[in-house]
Parts: sequence; structure tokens; C-alpha cells
Amino acid sequence: MDDDVDARHTPAEVDATFRTLRRVAVGYFVVFLLGVAAFPVLSLTLDWWSQARLVGGMSPGFLVAAFGLYLFFAVLGIAVSRLTSAVEHRMLDDTRDDGFPVTLEPPGEVP
Amino acid sequence: MRGGSALLAGVLVAAWAAVYLITQVLVAPPLGVLPTLASGLVVSTVVVLGYPSALRGPRGGPLGGSAARARSWPPARRPRDPRGMRDGLTIAAAGRSMPLRNGLTPDAARRTAQLIRPLLGGDAIAITDTEQVLAFVGPGSDHHHVGGTLQTRVSRLALGKKRTVVVHARDGIGCPEPGCPLRTAVVAPLAVADRVVGTLKVYRVHDEPAPRVLVDDMASMLSLHLELAEMDRERHLASDAKLDALRAQINPHFLFNILNTIASKSRTDPDESRQLLLRLSDFFRYAVRQDGHFAEFSQEYFFVRTYVSLEQARFGDRLRVRYDLDPQVLTSRVPVLVIQPLVENAIKHGIADSVTGGTVHLRARVDPLTRTTSIRVSDDGAGMAPEVLDRLLAGKRPGTAGPQHSGVGLWNISQRLDSLFGDRYSFDVASTPGKGTTVDLQIPLR
Repeated sequence: MDDDVDARHTPAEVDATFRTLRRVAVGYFVVFLLGVAAFPVLSLTLDWWSQARLVGGMSPGFLVAAFGLYLFFAVLGIAVSRLTSAVEHRMLDDTRDDGFPVTLEPPGEVP
Repeated sequence: MRGGSALLAGVLVAAWAAVYLITQVLVAPPLGVLPTLASGLVVSTVVVLGYPSALRGPRGGPLGGSAARARSWPPARRPRDPRGMRDGLTIAAAGRSMPLRNGLTPDAARRTAQLIRPLLGGDAIAITDTEQVLAFVGPGSDHHHVGGTLQTRVSRLALGKKRTVVVHARDGIGCPEPGCPLRTAVVAPLAVADRVVGTLKVYRVHDEPAPRVLVDDMASMLSLHLELAEMDRERHLASDAKLDALRAQINPHFLFNILNTIASKSRTDPDESRQLLLRLSDFFRYAVRQDGHFAEFSQEYFFVRTYVSLEQARFGDRLRVRYDLDPQVLTSRVPVLVIQPLVENAIKHGIADSVTGGTVHLRARVDPLTRTTSIRVSDDGAGMAPEVLDRLLAGKRPGTAGPQHSGVGLWNISQRLDSLFGDRYSFDVASTPGKGTTVDLQIPLR
């Protein structure tokens, strides 16, 4: 028999991880939606958004469309991927932070 | 202010500064006041709500270290006047920041001697324990060595008589060094309760000794600080003992039952019995090796699901469990060995007695606005008798007779939470016989 013991998780553990990750996904989707929807809303309601001049004669709206949204997407993507990886690691991994992995040790060897 | 809150406050200030710069300084024309405030509020809300989502790194890093250092004694940075008197330093101020609050150590004694020397009007100040000099500041330090044994006769006299001794002549001090410049001394004992633990010595190089009342009062104040330090130490020892008691309280019946389960499965399902052995090993490793009073929630969660998986091997489909966790709660710090006993109680007294079994529900949330972590363990099992619940809620230790092992666990948890959080937590138990028990715990977010 193979000595490597695969990590096995109970359905409750996997279910809990799934629901927590779903919560992360829904939360970040809402943030994404609000961020994207804010652009047309500001364009329609705030004259300053398209008429003021910020850097290089560009309006805040233009700057956000040209650079800000991409930055927003990148930050959001990195944040959500980091968070989901960390959540999965913390909720399913069997290795604790103090450095001892879950393996069968040879008989007689006391950790 | 704790490190996490300070960081959040710093981020908020930076966010408002950025909003101000972008909407008022760098742009022409500037944005109106109301839209600026609205955008600042939106940014603040995002920061406050999103802050716990950013999984934080290891604790005690550079930030925590600098914060700890910032709270430490800062005499070197304080301006001094040419006479050695610190600006604005009063006895009350010295009392509030007395280093001896951490115990009678050489470092604390040295800093204390430096602090009180200008207050007592002495030329030299020494602080000793019952055997050696812990600190000596002023003339004579060339031969009154720190760490050396007590040389002067007057110290032994004060320790022996347990009262203040005033010496008006050089001969009375009893220093064996012929060229010692010290002429007069007032030596007051430092006591913790009725036990003399050291002396405070105030020397002068001229014939008028320091005011005895002043030295007495200062010695009393130092003794009070030493008593407080002793109480702190005893409180920590008691807290450690409670944690050890909880570790030792792992029910032997649980071990017998799980070993029997593993033995019965070893023939029919060797793979599962192997998994169970690994989980049992994990369970005991965590319980035995967990140092300190706090752990990341994810580690406690690992401990809980290890325990639950072992119990599920025994109870089978009768035991169902549902975890409902916020992502933010995984990195928060919670007291160790608190959640597992709650789950164990739910299984032992809620589910085990029920023929049809039941579901244990573990729910954990973080509230970023009130900065609290909420943990709820509930079951739909047998519930708890009202008298047992009343005793628990009254904070009394239940009797040892009968099946009240769980009560001791809850009592222990309640006591530990008291010592860790004071009145900044809530621990509520609600139970309806036949319908189940719900335990709600709210602790400050760390």
C-alpha cells in the first residue's frame, strides 16, 4: 500500500469551503459591479467628472476610463485570487503553520 | 490602540488625504464640498468593510515590534536639565510609569533608580533585593557594583528589622571601601505583603540625610508596584493553569470510543482506519503543542473539524455538521481550545442522546464596524436542563457529580475569557430542553 496518505475531507468541510468561497465571489462581484456602474452614473450626474481638468488636461472621467478601470480590475482580480487561495488553504489544508505535516512517522520516532 | 486598529486608522487618514488631493488640489476647478465628502465616505466605507478581507500576515512583525517598543520606557529620549531634573516630572508621573511594575529585575531597578534620584534629593540611589545590588546610580558606583553582594551593614540592618534605617555618619553605613564618598543614608525596605524582597537606599555625600518620610513614601509606592507585578504574575499563572486544565480535560471516554471505532474499522476499511489514526494524531498534537493563549481561527477550525471527523466515524449519519464561516474570520485570533469544547458539548449532550441524531452548526462572523468576532455553536439535540444552565450563567462551577463534565468545560472557558478580555466579551448560553442549545460568543477582533 502506498505510504502517502491523500488528504481526504468530509463533505461538511468541502461544503463549508464552497460556501465561504461563494461568499467571497459574490462579495467581489458586487464590488466589481458597483465600480463599473459608478462610471456611467458619475458621467450622467456630475459635470465635474467630465469637465474638470486633472493631469495633462485630462478629465477625471477620461483618466478613469483610460487607466483607472484597468487598475481597478487588476487590484480586484489580485485581491480575490489571493483571498480565495488563502481561504482554501486555511479551510482544507491539513498542514498547520507550526511546520509539522500530516504524515505517518516511522515507528518509534517521537516528534 | 491595538496594531490592527492603528493601521486601519492610518489607512483611513491616507484615504481622506488622497481624496482631498485629487478633488481639491490637483484638479481645476475643485469638486464641491458635498460631492467631496460623499466620495470620502464611500472610500472610507470600502476601506472599513474591506480591511478584514485582506488576509493579514504573521503577527509580531516589524509593526508589532515597533508598537511594543514605543510603549517601552523612553528615558533616553526625554530632555534633561543640567541638574538632572526632568522637565515636569512629578512623583505622580513617576508613579504612573514606574518600571518596577514589571517586577524586581536589574533593568527595571536601574531605570527606577535613574527616575527617582532627582525626586528624592539623594546623591546616590541603590535598589537591592535581599542578596545583591540590582542598581546603583551616583557617586560610589565604582565600588558598589551592580550584581555584587550587599556590602553595607545598614542594608542588612534594614532587611533584618524590616523597617527604615537612617544613618547620619559615614561609619554607620558600614561600607568597607575607605574612600567611599557616601556620608549619610536612608534605607527603606521594599515589601510584598509581609515579605521583604529588597531595599531602596538613598545616599548623600554630605551630613544631612535625605528626608526619611519622602524615602518611606517612595518605598511604599515601589512596594505597591512590586505587589501589582506579583499579582500580574499570579494572574498569568492562573490563566496558564486554566488552559492546562482544559488540555488535560480531554475526555478519556472519547479516546476509548475512537480507538474502538478504529479497531472495528481496521479489518473492514483499513484506509479509513488509517485516516482516523492520522486525525487522532493531529487532534492530540494540537491539544498538547498549542502554546500561548491565542491562535488563528483557521487553526482552531482545523482542530474542530479533526475532532468532528473522529466523532462522525463513531456516530455515522446521526451526526451532521454544518460550518458557516466568513472568509474574514479565518485570520482573526481567537482564544485557543475554546471552540472545540463547545462543539464537543453540543455533540455529547445534544446529539449523542438523540436516537435520530442531529446537526451541529458552527457559525463564525467578523463585524468590521464594531471590530468583533462572533462565534455561535448550536445544535438541535436534547438541550440542557434549566438548573444546569442557570448555574452556568451565574458563573458558578457546577457540581462534579453526575454527567456535568461539560459544565466544567464551559466554566473553564468562561473563566479564561474573563482573564483574557475582562468585560470586553460576551458569552451567552441559551437552551431549550428537547430543542437544542445555542452558545454565542463575541470577542474583540484581533
